[in-house]
Amino acid sequence: MARSYKENEFDVIIIGGGITGAGTARDCALRGMKVLLIERHDIATGATGRNHGLLHSGARYAVTDRESATECIEENMILRKIASHCVDETDGFFITLPEDDLAYQAKFVESCRAAGIRADIIDPAEAIRLEPSVNHSLIGAVRVPDGSVDPFRLCASNMLDAKLHGAKVLVYHEVTEIIKEQDTVRGVKAVNTLTGEKLEFYAPVTVNACGIWGHAIAQMAGVNIGMFPAKGALLIFAHRVNNIVINRCRKPANADILVPGDTVCVIGTTSTHIPFDQCDDMRVTPEEVDLLMSEGAKLAPSLASTRILRAYAGVRPLVSADNDPSGRNISRGIVCLDHESRDGLKGFITITGGKLMTYRLMAEQATDAVCRKLGNPSACTTAITPLPGSELGGLKELTRKLWSEPTTVQKAVAGRAGSRAGSIPLAESHQQSLVCECEEVSVSEVTNAVEHLDVHNLVDLRRRTRVGMGTCQGELCACRAAGLLAKAHGCTSKAREDLKSFMTERWKGMLPIAWGDTLRESEYTQWVYNHVLGLNNSI
Amino acid sequence: MKFNTIIIGGGLSGLTAAIQLQLSGESTAVISAGQSALHFSSGTFGILNSGAVLPEGHPYSKIGPKLQDYIARIKPFFAKAGVSLHGNDSRNMLRLTPTGTFQECRYAMEEVELFDAGNPDIGNKVLIVNVQGFFDFNTAFIAQGLEKAGATCRIESVSLPEFGRVRESPSEMRSVNLARILEGGGTLDEFIASVKALIKDEDTVILPEIFGLRDSSPALKVKESLGVRCIFVGTMPPSVPGIRCQMQLRRYYESLGGIFLMGDEAVGVNIADSTVKAVSTKNLGAHWLMADNFILSTGSFFSKGLASSPEGVTEPLFGVDTSYDKNRPEWYRRDFFESQPYMEFGVATDGGFHAIKDGIPLTNLYAAGSILAGRGPLTLGCGAGVAILTAFAVADSITGGKA
Repeated sequence: MARSYKENEFDVIIIGGGITGAGTARDCALRGMKVLLIERHDIATGATGRNHGLLHSGARYAVTDRESATECIEENMILRKIASHCVDETDGFFITLPEDDLAYQAKFVESCRAAGIRADIIDPAEAIRLEPSVNHSLIGAVRVPDGSVDPFRLCASNMLDAKLHGAKVLVYHEVTEIIKEQDTVRGVKAVNTLTGEKLEFYAPVTVNACGIWGHAIAQMAGVNIGMFPAKGALLIFAHRVNNIVINRCRKPANADILVPGDTVCVIGTTSTHIPFDQCDDMRVTPEEVDLLMSEGAKLAPSLASTRILRAYAGVRPLVSADNDPSGRNISRGIVCLDHESRDGLKGFITITGGKLMTYRLMAEQATDAVCRKLGNPSACTTAITPLPGSELGGLKELTRKLWSEPTTVQKAVAGRAGSRAGSIPLAESHQQSLVCECEEVSVSEVTNAVEHLDVHNLVDLRRRTRVGMGTCQGELCACRAAGLLAKAHGCTSKAREDLKSFMTERWKGMLPIAWGDTLRESEYTQWVYNHVLGLNNSI
Repeated sequence: MKFNTIIIGGGLSGLTAAIQLQLSGESTAVISAGQSALHFSSGTFGILNSGAVLPEGHPYSKIGPKLQDYIARIKPFFAKAGVSLHGNDSRNMLRLTPTGTFQECRYAMEEVELFDAGNPDIGNKVLIVNVQGFFDFNTAFIAQGLEKAGATCRIESVSLPEFGRVRESPSEMRSVNLARILEGGGTLDEFIASVKALIKDEDTVILPEIFGLRDSSPALKVKESLGVRCIFVGTMPPSVPGIRCQMQLRRYYESLGGIFLMGDEAVGVNIADSTVKAVSTKNLGAHWLMADNFILSTGSFFSKGLASSPEGVTEPLFGVDTSYDKNRPEWYRRDFFESQPYMEFGVATDGGFHAIKDGIPLTNLYAAGSILAGRGPLTLGCGAGVAILTAFAVADSITGGKA
């Protein structure tokens, strides 16, 4: 199939740089297509970066939604293999508290097993021994194969592999128009949001993978998807209080999952239907914070006295069934719409609904649909092909293979970059100089991210390296990293504005929970940046 | 143990009050947990930004007509302690910040350059020199600021074998460690020679504030030796001049016979009839410290003088009354760079800086410094001023003006 392409011609255009778009871009690229992925902000800025980071076993849905549960456990097992450097195999508990109905446990275990999910009832005393942070008044516990997954890393790895297989990735490019000829989508018009440059791209198929923002993209194409933005708020605690995921053994409700991730742990979520115009600037309310704290402390009582680092919220891209415009029967399953059969619009596919956990399956379904349209017979290989970073297996084997005696900085970078850590120069001591002390991010890792991973600003850098994600929330590292970015991009005024917006963005997540140590840290940071550094003064 | 006055908190305010009292012949002790806000300061002191309007209830309003006299006392007071300040008693000057902007202040430590507010003279050709691999000094930002102000800048860096040790360990490349290496002797001379070798036709050299932890002599030596004007610009915290100021005040206080309980923390209090009788400390255990008067200068939230929870703001040691907004969302502004209302929360006092417990002023407990309600250090530029001037006021009140 020797097709000749102009520079702005592709086989498929994927709109959306979250995990679904990244996964679809990878799958399409692996199946030999010429791919363009276009994202208006940075990678993982929507729901991908705003969830628990839970590697669902599917147990949560076992009783209420067998299909989702089965999807979850299958994908769970796949991600452990193909994304080992993004996954922490912690296991999970579903605990029954005195106020819960212990009878639910039997039904829960039965449903898990029916869905193919390992579920072992364990003695409460044994549960306390294995996970000392758990509420000691528990009356029942079931162990399931939950885990945690780093969504930023997962998204970046998919994006990277897509690029390694020839995909073009444009971040900070916003789609302004869907180019249509009669009943066929031909491509997109876009604007580079950093430079204002206007561009056009053409492909026989365009995939809408924009999460909740897919609603607007579909409208742009002239079709309607009944989407319902459901806000979920979460809190990040400053310590890894638990090593095993803790869930409540009851029907899914608010704030009943506590997930350990890297050096922190996350409690969530709430669920509130919000208007579309709030999706771009979600703020966590005091009521949500209070609810998350009080429910969280029921899972692990020490949370009540643990410092909260940040509050944040994401939007689930829920879709109502086509015959149910009122949204009463909202599904959390995968929704893959071929708008040709649904709406008579050719060359346009929407992939939405679903979960972080099932992103690979969503990508597979979307790519299958693209293949059908293009007559591409290639089969999906993403379930068996490791992502870049996961080729050498788990962290321990990996660091052993890369360095004879790894330093803590080398271990930290291996945790983030997986086998790709080998390509980050860390042999010399000056390359290991720390930019971010909380997360042990070295100057070399920052430079690598700036040079190879599409970093345009400090927030992008944080998504790729964890700079500024630690206990201090960027009070010292942000300024250091800004210096390095100014050098790399050769633009100091941009770096200055960038540092200001980074501090504002950090504050946004701290403000809802700014008391205790977080208020102390805020006062210090505000004093340093506003007064000592004089950052906001005009120059 | 019995003292005339016990000061809880050994930062700028506590040490100022303690020195004043010791000078007036009192026997005093300072209980200090460790670091203070001085460790994160700029090497300059602000009293009040020009054009700032004092809000009602600001600590200055309680000092009243004596305020100007107290301001005039600052320079002589610090000079006695070996901290040589410069600046004008009646008008503000500018400091060059680590991000290349200018910030108002009243006084500066001797090696810190002050500029005229109207027309800051930063030189025409400026050489900015950093230590290689030191990320806490942002040369690009400084250059950008100075170029906006009309100067031409060149950026260079110096690498000496002696810096190798701090470079070995990834977290050691910090201002204080560099200052230790450059404390004097051959390394300082080598550094000066390296900088001199870099100067071409520049009239001004800018260096990071990494000279002189114990006293200002290394900084002054650099200034004298370069042959062109030398401007020191602050680094990311910790602040070398700030730590030096703290150390000099403490040494002076101890030379006057004051007892500085370093690394200790007041943990218990004994109050009867609205009068503080004694405090206990972590290290001294059952040995309570008694005094006629007590000064609470434990700082704001960051220094743990104030505590906060979703329920409100408290003063954790004495449990004295605090002043704050009861509606938590009102504590903050969304804009990180806007003045945050929580920074004005603090301990409530009567007109004579007596702390108040359950609505009744305590007869012998005074509050001084940034623990006080009503300050607004970021927008008003009054942080150091409140610390020093309220300490003067409290010391005067205790001694009847003898200090």
